[in-house]
Amino acid sequence: MSTMRSAGQISLRNLRAIPRLPSAFFPALLMPIFTMIAFSGTFYAVTKIPGFPTDRSINWYMPIGVLFGSSFSGIGIGFTTIRDIETGFYDRLRMSPAPRNALIIGPLFTAWMRTVILNLIVVPIGVALGVRFEGGILAVLSLLAASLGMSTLSLGWGLGLAYRFRDMRAAAIMQLSIFIGLYLTSAQMPLEFIDGWLHHVATYNPITYILYLARQGLVLDGTSHDMSWSNTWPGLLAIVVLSGLALAFARRGLDKLDK
Amino acid sequence: MTNSPSNSPILAENLTRHFGEVKAVDGIDMQVNAGEIFGFLGPNGAGKSTAVRMLTTLLRPTAGRAIVAGFDVATHPDEVRRRIGVALQDAAIDPLMTGSELLQLQAVLYGIPSSQTKSRTAELLERVGLTAAGDRRVGTYSGGMRRRLDLALSLIHQPTVLFLDEPTTGLDPMSRLTLWEEVRRLNREGTTVLLTTQYLEEADQLADRIAIIDKGKIVREGKPQDLKAEVGFPTLIVNVQKDHQDAARSVLLQFGELRPTAEGTLGVGLRDGAQVVTDVVRKLDEAHVHLIHLEINEPSLDDVFADATGHRLEGDKS
Repeated sequence: MSTMRSAGQISLRNLRAIPRLPSAFFPALLMPIFTMIAFSGTFYAVTKIPGFPTDRSINWYMPIGVLFGSSFSGIGIGFTTIRDIETGFYDRLRMSPAPRNALIIGPLFTAWMRTVILNLIVVPIGVALGVRFEGGILAVLSLLAASLGMSTLSLGWGLGLAYRFRDMRAAAIMQLSIFIGLYLTSAQMPLEFIDGWLHHVATYNPITYILYLARQGLVLDGTSHDMSWSNTWPGLLAIVVLSGLALAFARRGLDKLDK
Repeated sequence: MTNSPSNSPILAENLTRHFGEVKAVDGIDMQVNAGEIFGFLGPNGAGKSTAVRMLTTLLRPTAGRAIVAGFDVATHPDEVRRRIGVALQDAAIDPLMTGSELLQLQAVLYGIPSSQTKSRTAELLERVGLTAAGDRRVGTYSGGMRRRLDLALSLIHQPTVLFLDEPTTGLDPMSRLTLWEEVRRLNREGTTVLLTTQYLEEADQLADRIAIIDKGKIVREGKPQDLKAEVGFPTLIVNVQKDHQDAARSVLLQFGELRPTAEGTLGVGLRDGAQVVTDVVRKLDEAHVHLIHLEINEPSLDDVFADATGHRLEGDKS
């Protein structure tokens, strides 16, 4: 029995839900747009700080918005899974002889598709509002890679929590952990501008490096955020490690459902 | 029709499931023969659904074992899944999808080749009378339509064993009859059916054999007519004024053992048969018991249930 065929069909079901229940997708779409516009307007003055890596606040804040949206694309499927577990629909999927991995790979395809859709909408809006991809197409691809990575690890985390809690308690933990994970980085200020415990936490938080990957080519004026391999591999490594751990967390959670 | 345990489509031995301290299913033994409709009868919370969830691989047994379609549910769950069809209690169907889309999803999950998916979908929609509604979202379906779609979904891969968990709960009488007829038709075509229900009539009408489950244990098992015959005596049910109940109870005890009945009534199993009813009425009159209502019932599955558990299934629901 084909894992990919089953996963594709499960993914198709989730994708069909986007136009049929758009309210479930709107938060993931509005979050980056809101973050980009509100933060870049409110905190425009930070770009005047000597040494700030860009003079365009929207270039600084759009990537964090996109990563928020991508994360919500992933955990949004965690919410859907909770609903499916609570209504019993998930029993139908589990009772089928389809390979168990298809139940994770299918939602993963959906999370990626939602993330691509999000980028296709948010990035042009950002460009219209003044974002400049100084790094060209590589900068766009770097942002896309970072956002796909965030959606993957968020999906694994969301599914794992959904399988363990099996009700809406998991939803609050999913959202809170994503906020904490993304804010305890250089989301607001460059790492070198941050002092104290937050500096240490942000330095060791792997999501900081995914954020570097997302900002490459958007903030060319700094010393640590240039478009370079040294800014690329830590982000990619963080994505691979965190996504691997999150998907393994989901797979073990799926097995626990039978028990 | 009997089978040896080795080729029974469903065989459970000491099947047990605990949730913490609660023994939801407490060591049941069960054998369902090929080609029969087996009814699993019991009130809400008796353990029916938990037993079905174990037999359909959704839940691991705490102890014991179950062989379904020739495979152990704990060690070969995928083999079991390929051979069984399941319609669970709540007809859990995504309301955003259409009937056709759901059938196509189910077809892919069960490995039906792409070339056959459309024809199989159309065939099943026709079978359950949903061809016209196939392209409508399930959210617009009535309860009966959802149940029929659920049944169609469970048949996508032509299973040899079918589990129906309370398939008619909440349905109107017409929808219930339609579903019963479809279950009979499937059974005539050779499908073995395990049906859980809390409706006595459903078990009586459909099942070749039944097991009565209460508090996680099977308390009776056999053919409905045999079980009713075992209970034996007809039940006389009387309704008397509240302050006459003690006097009425004393009179009734002269004619047989008291049986559990719905609240506010008294029941007695008439050991000498229905011909003593006139004697009972005379004795009640002599004891100055004012009789409001009287009825006599031949043994029913509810009597079997009451005899086995000490309480009535229908009384529980009222």
